[in-house]
Amino acid sequence: MIGLLILPAALLIILIFGTPLIRYIWLSFHASSVITGLVPIANKGANWQRLINDQRFWQDSFQTFRFAALSVSLELFIALAIALLLNQKWRGRNLVRAITLLPWALPTTVMALGWRWIFNTPYGPIELIVNLIGLDQFNILSNPNTAWLATVLGDVWKTTPFIALILLAGLQTIPQDLYEAFKLEGGSNKEALFKITIPMLKPYILLSILFRLAQAFGVFDLIQVMTGGGPAGSTESLAIYAYLNAMRFLDFGYSSTIMIGSFILIVFSSIFSIYLFNKFKNIQGYSR
Amino acid sequence: MKPKVLFVISILISSFTFVANKSVAKTSPSKHINILMPAPFADSTKDLINKFNVENKDNIIINVTRGPLETESVSDLAISSLMLEKSPFDILLIDVTWLPKYAAAGWLSSLDKWITQEDLNKIAIGAQKGNKFKNKVYRWPFVADMGLLYWRKDLMEKPPRTNNELIKISKELIQKKKVKYGYVWQGRQYEGLSCVFLEVLYGFGGEWLDENGAIHLDKQPSINAAKWLKKLIKDGITPKAVTNYSEPESLQLFESGEVAFMRNWPYAWSELQKPSSVVRGKVGVTTMVAEIGNNPTSTLGSWGFSIIKTSKNPQDAFKVIKYLTSIKSQKHLFLKYGYTPISSEIFKDVDILKNSPIITALYKGLTVSEPRPQTPLYAQISDVLQRHLSEILTGDGEVSETMNRAHSISNQILQSAGSNK
Repeated sequence: MIGLLILPAALLIILIFGTPLIRYIWLSFHASSVITGLVPIANKGANWQRLINDQRFWQDSFQTFRFAALSVSLELFIALAIALLLNQKWRGRNLVRAITLLPWALPTTVMALGWRWIFNTPYGPIELIVNLIGLDQFNILSNPNTAWLATVLGDVWKTTPFIALILLAGLQTIPQDLYEAFKLEGGSNKEALFKITIPMLKPYILLSILFRLAQAFGVFDLIQVMTGGGPAGSTESLAIYAYLNAMRFLDFGYSSTIMIGSFILIVFSSIFSIYLFNKFKNIQGYSR
Repeated sequence: MKPKVLFVISILISSFTFVANKSVAKTSPSKHINILMPAPFADSTKDLINKFNVENKDNIIINVTRGPLETESVSDLAISSLMLEKSPFDILLIDVTWLPKYAAAGWLSSLDKWITQEDLNKIAIGAQKGNKFKNKVYRWPFVADMGLLYWRKDLMEKPPRTNNELIKISKELIQKKKVKYGYVWQGRQYEGLSCVFLEVLYGFGGEWLDENGAIHLDKQPSINAAKWLKKLIKDGITPKAVTNYSEPESLQLFESGEVAFMRNWPYAWSELQKPSSVVRGKVGVTTMVAEIGNNPTSTLGSWGFSIIKTSKNPQDAFKVIKYLTSIKSQKHLFLKYGYTPISSEIFKDVDILKNSPIITALYKGLTVSEPRPQTPLYAQISDVLQRHLSEILTGDGEVSETMNRAHSISNQILQSAGSNK
């Protein structure tokens, strides 16, 4: 009976998530490009062979992982600090809570364009500050070694509020009497953070890691606007590569292969990161 | 309460649509022609289209869909619509580089049945290029566009004609502290970089993709062209930051008066004449520089109209194209928005010659302009070139080695496509 009741919802989910996935997997075994007149022709896994030998795919994978790992961990730290601060009672807290959310509410393309001009040489404010200090030009977006850090900064600025919000919600579920009991037993504030707050926040941290990792692996708009994947392809993400193949090169077969390939990578790395996180679980929690 | 409100709203909506449907059905037996244009073109053609719709209200009504501002986003939208079995559009305004790709995908109608050789001959030489695929015309030019060299009339008597002259003048002006930089162009890893490179490449007497489909990126002119661009940055003639510059950033720097030369498209001219521009009235326009013995060459931009294969009224669609590209429309768009005309007649028009200080420069630029390689695989090979040029401009690697790599990857792309045919 219950099975029957969830059937419509299950069907809807299969329809919305399942069909495109199956279609992409199917397409990844076909040549479908401007050369074939966009007619899919089965090519016996040639796309997959090409993917495995495609240096650019692996370089982009590395760059996407690098971007996701650094931005998500930075976001987590900063968001925890913000959440702790916003969980305290002080005047003007509500106003600050609202302001903190602003970056999250801004459309990514708009803020990415903003960052592009902020980092602009010679007119961007960052360049002005660097000049004031008396240093030479910074040129962060023009250097293949540093441009990706600028994109991480843009991502951290935008999505930290999102994690802060999740963690704040988590903080509010921790009963105050736990802290009181802990203090009565002689624990310090610092100890309370590691023995109560963080262990109790674990499910929320896990949730935000999963959410953000999935998003960061699929990063597109921010990078497309800020650097367009350059310089020298140093900021190109898997999503940009898949997009280029589909929309610019009209090579839908190979684009699907890239998408399914990166999907597999993302699933594995998410599982791996949960595993890593669970290893850290051994931080001793406090219980009454 | 809530369901009630919803109910009332839905009744209102349905009655509105009913009324709207009825009124359309009653007053207009006319055919609708839908055009997708990038936002700036949709705005500037508004007057022309309103006029047409009033004059032809019983026959044809033009509906313009205002697309995104950025060129490639328009392409994304167009392609998404073309992927549907039935596109909602009859006409697309397309960029010169999209044509082979769209035509090869089988999305466009050939215009040959409506045009004669005589019509074609009336188009200025440069604008005649980039409209054909496999010897069939698929696109009628609307606005011409080409790379131009902007120079500061107040800092020099005449513009440089050769690569070395440009470097020499730049160095002198920087030394005299007249300007901070000599020459600014578009060095970001994007389509604009391919356009810049192509001009320099022709200036060195080279070629990117020849008529037989062979790539020439490993040849000496290609390597020299890349080396020259790198040298500009290394010598401080071009700011280092140019490797993330597209058109707006270059324009901003030139507008501030800190640079002697800029490579840009014709749109920059009217921007430079605005009151906020420091260099207003101090700017001249000419064709690109080249090595001694080679002709200056501009990369052809240009927009044109194509009719979509699934259009139900291609005949009427062509009438609309004819109207929008008529001499009268071209003049209006040139005088009001600075859109470079495509008919040679307008470049000789006494009125226009008197009123526009740059029409001669535009004509010269158009005459020497060349399209980018015309293959359905252009986007791929341009992407490869952009990546490798960006690597050259931002890294320390050996130029010839990087160009050789770009060459062999481009070759692979073309060959694997050929073997799939």
